[in-house]
Amino acid sequence: MSDTTLGGGVLRDAVPASLAFSRSDALRLLGGTLVIVAVVVGAYLLHDADGYGAKSSISLLLGAALGITFARGRFCFFCILRDWIEKRDSTGMYAILAALAVGGIGYAVVFGAFLPNSFSGRLPPDAHIGPVSWVLVAAGGAFGIGMALSGACISGHLYRLGEGYSRAPVALLGSVVGFGLGFFTWQSVYLSTLTNAPVVWLPAMLGYGGSLALHLALLTIIAVALLRLLPALTAEMPERLTPVRLFNLVFRQRWGPLVTGAIVGIIGMIAYFRVEPLGVTSQIGSIARTTLDNAGLLADRLNGLDGFAGCATQVVQTITENGWLIGGLVVGSFAVSLIANRFQPSSLTLKSGVTALGGGILMGWGSMLALGCTVGTLMSGISAFALSGWVFAAAGIGGVWLGIRLGLHRWG
Amino acid sequence: MSRIKWFVSLILLLALTLLTASAFAQDAAPEVLVTADWLEQNLEDPNVRIIEVSVNPGVFERGHIPGAVNFVWHTDFVNPLERDVVSAERFQELLRGAGVNDDTTVILYGDSNNWFAAWGAWIFNLYGFEDVRLLDGGRVKWEADGRPLSTDSATFEAGSVTIGEADDELRALKPEVLSIVEGETLASLIDIRSPAEYNGEIFAPEGVQELAIRAGHIPGALNVPWGQNVNEDGTFKSLEELQVLYGGLGVDGSQPIVTYCRIGERAALTWFVLHELLGYDVALYDGSWTEWGNSVGVPVENPAGTVWGGQ
Repeated sequence: MSDTTLGGGVLRDAVPASLAFSRSDALRLLGGTLVIVAVVVGAYLLHDADGYGAKSSISLLLGAALGITFARGRFCFFCILRDWIEKRDSTGMYAILAALAVGGIGYAVVFGAFLPNSFSGRLPPDAHIGPVSWVLVAAGGAFGIGMALSGACISGHLYRLGEGYSRAPVALLGSVVGFGLGFFTWQSVYLSTLTNAPVVWLPAMLGYGGSLALHLALLTIIAVALLRLLPALTAEMPERLTPVRLFNLVFRQRWGPLVTGAIVGIIGMIAYFRVEPLGVTSQIGSIARTTLDNAGLLADRLNGLDGFAGCATQVVQTITENGWLIGGLVVGSFAVSLIANRFQPSSLTLKSGVTALGGGILMGWGSMLALGCTVGTLMSGISAFALSGWVFAAAGIGGVWLGIRLGLHRWG
Repeated sequence: MSRIKWFVSLILLLALTLLTASAFAQDAAPEVLVTADWLEQNLEDPNVRIIEVSVNPGVFERGHIPGAVNFVWHTDFVNPLERDVVSAERFQELLRGAGVNDDTTVILYGDSNNWFAAWGAWIFNLYGFEDVRLLDGGRVKWEADGRPLSTDSATFEAGSVTIGEADDELRALKPEVLSIVEGETLASLIDIRSPAEYNGEIFAPEGVQELAIRAGHIPGALNVPWGQNVNEDGTFKSLEELQVLYGGLGVDGSQPIVTYCRIGERAALTWFVLHELLGYDVALYDGSWTEWGNSVGVPVENPAGTVWGGQ
């Protein structure tokens, strides 16, 4: 199997560009296309539906775009970190760096319109800028260990759910449980720690230009440092761009990391501009909160929680905009996985189920206390120039590193 | 001059007189409401300043009426430390920052049926600002009409407005409300909350945390939920309809009126209707039920008899 990609990087999962297009490929292409058409029609209907409207509609479309990009670019935080830590291959890290670079530029542009004066003492509306304390470090660490144990982060499980990954539903169920536990922890740590924890937003000190310069400089330093772990590039054979070759490039080969990351960054900017910052745990947390609320187990008021921006949870009876986003994510991933012939339901063993559940619980607990996960707190937070995003990233990578060193990822 | 020419001149003169008179009549009527059409035609007028006051954060930023500035109801119109309206100094500073002069025409609008835009209009009036008006139908109608929104952040040269002392006539404090209840002051009380809150069946609307630990209403208050003031599209009902609505309840402007709600903001919409549109003598009790229902020793009417359970 040759190792070529859109961007020319060496990646696993690549297939020969000349692979033929069979009758079953045609059927799968038709099926996947119909699913995408259904999403578009759904978004159209949602726009005029009572109680929903444009934001729900856009959320569904952005979710589908994200699902397609995550699946085709294999944008799975855990897989990327494992390749880097265990296999000494930094290819996927460039997708995360590209997403953060493009996202940061996008946020700077949007911030300039939303809050022209970054020194006014206000924070931009809804942006994921959270309190920085040992709670965030503990939450990030638990999230990282949970990723290693369950085989993916929450967004990873969501898109892999669309590929038929059997551990995904179990891990997601675990994350709902973990969220529930997180609410109880929240009540005790809020008063002891979070009320006094600093909420550090770089533009309040450096302005937008200074923050973006620092942001891009940091990403560049990391990118340069990772260069030595980038495998050698192989030359691509010159070949006419036939429909079959195009099909292979788009649906069979993994998208290049820079392309993938840039698309994720642009989707993040559009989401913030039109709806709310990207995040995938708000609906999950709301399910946990509503369930506990209905059972009468949780206090009506979670101390100070509703005062922080982030992947906010609420007691709800409907599908939130975030629900449409993650629904679109799963369905978008399913559509392209079907076309790419990557939709392959796997079987679940007791061991892989229990580790997925345990990992999910850790991730749910961590993302409740961190007010988001690798998408909400890490990507949307760092793109918004929040110190909390960087701290969560460092703690999360530390957790993944520990999990891999302990071999947790081999338990499943 | 022929007879016909003389006759035509007379007709023209009469017509001119009538036109002038009607124009004067319009000038004399309080201009407190503008239509979306008027606002769209006057977007470029440097003497018009548009201010959005929305309930929900992030609404203004993702698209507002071109040239509008954003005032945040829970920090800009109040004293965030003590429970009180914004101070005169802070209000003046805010307005100058928005480029407002003494002769500027300020147009307020917001989401949720102009709830907090009307509260803003009350604050402007409280501080004696000359020309403040509401956009009829607010943000919802502007959007439903398909009119343009912008994400540009407008900046203005500092204005020169001077804000003086607040006009106490427009504001009712607890002792004044108590004197109405005790019959020492003759005035109508209007409770604009939902019937369930008014009747004491619930302490606060669903999903709302700020509770009063007694349910019910201020004795003698009439219940006219705020929604009765507006049409389905969010515009205010006609003056005739409003006169019939309130007149039917015996509120005809013959005696002073005090409006209240739960936290003191929504009642500004009814204050606006009665004071600005109908021209009655109206004060807003901004302490509202969250003050009254928590006060020791004030009379309460609670038809449902709900007892607070200490939770």
